[in-house]
Amino acid sequence: MKNRLIIIPLIFFLLIILTFFYLLIIERNPSEIPSNLINKEAPYFKAESLFKDKEFISSEHFGNEVILVNFFATWCKPCLDEHEFIKGFSNKKKIKIIGINYKDNPKKTIKWLKKLGNPYSNIPLDKNGRIAIEWGVYGIPETYLINSKGFIKYRHVGPITKKIYKKINLLIDEIK
Amino acid sequence: MIKNKIIIIVFSLFFTCFFSYYSYSVEPDEILNNKEQETRARNISKNIRCLVCQNQSIDESNAPLAKDLRILIRDKIKSGKKDEEIYNFLRDRYGDFIFLKPTLSQNTFLLWFLPFIFLAIGLIIIFFNNKKSKN
Amino acid sequence: MTPLLGSFTIWLSLFFCIFQFIITLKNKNIKYLHLCVNGLLISSLISFLLLMYSFIISDFSILNVFQNSHTTKPLFYKITAVWGNHEGSMLLWILVLTLFNFFIFKLIDNKNSSFILKTLLIQSSITIGFILFTIFTSNPFQKIFPTPENGLGFNPILQDPALAIHPPLLYIGYVGFSAAFSMSVATLTFKNHQNILWYSYMKPFVMAAWTFLTIGIALGSIWAYYELGWGGWWFWDPVENASFMPWLIGTALLHSLVIVEKRKSLQAWVLLLSILAFLLSVIGTFLVRSGILTSVHTFALDPSRGIYILAFTALLGGYSLILYGINSKKFFNNNYFNSFSREGSILINNIFMVVVCATVFLGTIYPLIIEALTSNKISVGEPYFNSTVIPIMIPAILIMGIAPLLNWGKEDKLKIFKKIAPTFLSTIGMTIFILIAYKPNSVLGVVGIILAFWIISNNLLILIKKNKNYSKGMIIAHLGIGLLILGITGSSTWQEEKILKMNINNQVQIKKYNIIFEKINEIKGSNYVALQGKFLVYDNNKKFITELRPENRFYPITNIFTTEASINTNLFRDLYMVLGEGNSEKGWVVKIYYNPLVMWIWLGALIIFLGGLISLSNNLKKLQVLSK
Repeated sequence: MKNRLIIIPLIFFLLIILTFFYLLIIERNPSEIPSNLINKEAPYFKAESLFKDKEFISSEHFGNEVILVNFFATWCKPCLDEHEFIKGFSNKKKIKIIGINYKDNPKKTIKWLKKLGNPYSNIPLDKNGRIAIEWGVYGIPETYLINSKGFIKYRHVGPITKKIYKKINLLIDEIK
Repeated sequence: MIKNKIIIIVFSLFFTCFFSYYSYSVEPDEILNNKEQETRARNISKNIRCLVCQNQSIDESNAPLAKDLRILIRDKIKSGKKDEEIYNFLRDRYGDFIFLKPTLSQNTFLLWFLPFIFLAIGLIIIFFNNKKSKN
Repeated sequence: MTPLLGSFTIWLSLFFCIFQFIITLKNKNIKYLHLCVNGLLISSLISFLLLMYSFIISDFSILNVFQNSHTTKPLFYKITAVWGNHEGSMLLWILVLTLFNFFIFKLIDNKNSSFILKTLLIQSSITIGFILFTIFTSNPFQKIFPTPENGLGFNPILQDPALAIHPPLLYIGYVGFSAAFSMSVATLTFKNHQNILWYSYMKPFVMAAWTFLTIGIALGSIWAYYELGWGGWWFWDPVENASFMPWLIGTALLHSLVIVEKRKSLQAWVLLLSILAFLLSVIGTFLVRSGILTSVHTFALDPSRGIYILAFTALLGGYSLILYGINSKKFFNNNYFNSFSREGSILINNIFMVVVCATVFLGTIYPLIIEALTSNKISVGEPYFNSTVIPIMIPAILIMGIAPLLNWGKEDKLKIFKKIAPTFLSTIGMTIFILIAYKPNSVLGVVGIILAFWIISNNLLILIKKNKNYSKGMIIAHLGIGLLILGITGSSTWQEEKILKMNINNQVQIKKYNIIFEKINEIKGSNYVALQGKFLVYDNNKKFITELRPENRFYPITNIFTTEASINTNLFRDLYMVLGEGNSEKGWVVKIYYNPLVMWIWLGALIIFLGGLISLSNNLKKLQVLSK
């Protein structure tokens, strides 16, 4: 009986080791939090738009085609790093991108986009960060892929890298 | 060098969490006038994990997102929302990870009950031991 | 030159270690063994000192020095930076392993040679694993081309004395349990174990490891409290938990070793605990260095290192637990204890310590398990641990009060009541006094007070009785725990916080103190500029108490802002002040804490440490007698 009891801690030990091994093998970022909005409808919001007179109303833009939503700001260095890839999505992949300008100075944003190029079809201003909270944003830049029915299919936290750029391009092809 | 990049990322995370000069956790202008409401806000905040540093509650954190969430919680309290509604609001957008106290659900059933099961097993062993010693 | 020499000495220590392995396995020549043990210690010491030298002279051609040092770093912190990073700390791990290896060897004599040889065999296997890990994944002497002008190690928040000293002390703790592990495994492999007093040899090592682990953990908390600016000192962070778990098992181990010595019972249990204590140290190392979790404490994230450490853990744990499963039967005996006895209450303590450890372990790895099974991320934070650990600890501490007063063997229940009557009354008396004088606002606060005075009065009683049967070290350490609980209860239950905006000449009242904002200064430090607020503190009788000068610093070379809290400490309370943002028109954000009895947390821990040291020296004396 005591013998059997001793096997139990050993089994637990092995199971725990296997779990850790599995977690190490799969490529995961331990600090990344999965989005709770995957496969849910993109949150509805209204906001002042940067270059357009008309207010940005999300329902007019989501649910028609596959689009990307990119949360960015001029004061955020990784946003600068990924800008080339965002332009790539717009120019090469020909996908519509909504750039939500997070807690920024609109004048600075205009300058920034003038200098680096503007890949966004529309730029709603999230001046107090509440729109970002609606989307579950916790670390900009963040990029969301939304399908033609208006459902969020994928989110990436942090700057787009070459790898992620390729991945998102493949995903876009899949859902089109 | 990947190692260098990782180190820089860890450092910047570290810096953002401890050296941010944007705010110093709860600020005077955030504090609600109604004491009861303010206490509710503090208690809710203490249970919400700051997602930037991930090792503090938003009540203690200096991060800008923490401040935004603190203000949002206070706004919701002022507009009459109950604690549960506020927690649901945050969970819908950020998932269960945002709670420092794990909710009781199918996933966390074992988490909450195992410690007391361990204790019960321990007490049974003591009782068993005691009984056998009398023979 | 230095990096080459450094790498060479690490390889040299590997050589000695393998040599020791072979000798303890086959040859068993004591003279060769003597050479190995000394060679191993000296070569690992030299590699450690060479790294330290490189830091002192700021040799930035070495990658590790570049990443962790800077020319403006004060000398003391250049030295302590050696172990403040992953690679350097691995050298420290190895050094402490070889040091304990040396101490184990010192025990050898004609009677115990086969036991000590077996122990050294296991110890050398562990050391080989760590040296191989260091050489192949974490070599601190890796070079960088071209040699940079200056380094990256300028973080001023890490330049704190408590933070700097706590790793070596922690490592003596973690690594010290390796000796107990090796002795346990050695004992399990013996066919005829009756004559080996393995538990007497194990005790001083466990005592040393536990004692230093205690002060190591305490220093980490002291740093967090004084440096990080929000008055907290324990966050149930995974890395903190990784140090707490071996401490809990170590506490259980310490106590049950007493039973093994006195009653020759619980041998199988102690053998298991000594395996678990070190296994938890190694799992803790894994959690911190593998990149499987994020924490502000974790070292650079690297899954490939993680796989190596995990494999090593699996081997170590698998081998020892299987060995235990097969060979432990002969150590079981049918001694059962009455709960109302010294040994019975120690066993109860053990069970509580193990249950708490299991709970902390569960809470720490649960998010990982859920993530692996469901890809969902949940978080297990402070509220979980407080809700589970505290209720379980309460009965454990209550029993801890009575246990030293009980006799070995069965105790007459009536006699117990007689014994504890005075302390029971004094505890109730003190509690009522506190209830009236200080009006606690939480049940937990009252419970904490009861527990603290229960422990303190019971141990004072023993001291007063001057009964020579009691171990002085134990009483002092137990008193330390009582004071620790007092400090924890006081600082959490009666804490007061004020957050407000103040203009010059404004005043604020907190408890019995009146604080006036006198002025704002701009000051210059050695490598920083700062805005310093000058606050004058008076008590209700308009008597001047102290100045508080919180600062906001800016380090221009490195572009870092820090807040320096201003703390006025005495035995009764800490007045803790932090300066926020602001300007002369709108005023300044000020955060003030009144933290009662905080000092007793640190004093309590220090007294536990002293108690441990006293017990350690007694254990060593007993060991000397044993060898004669």
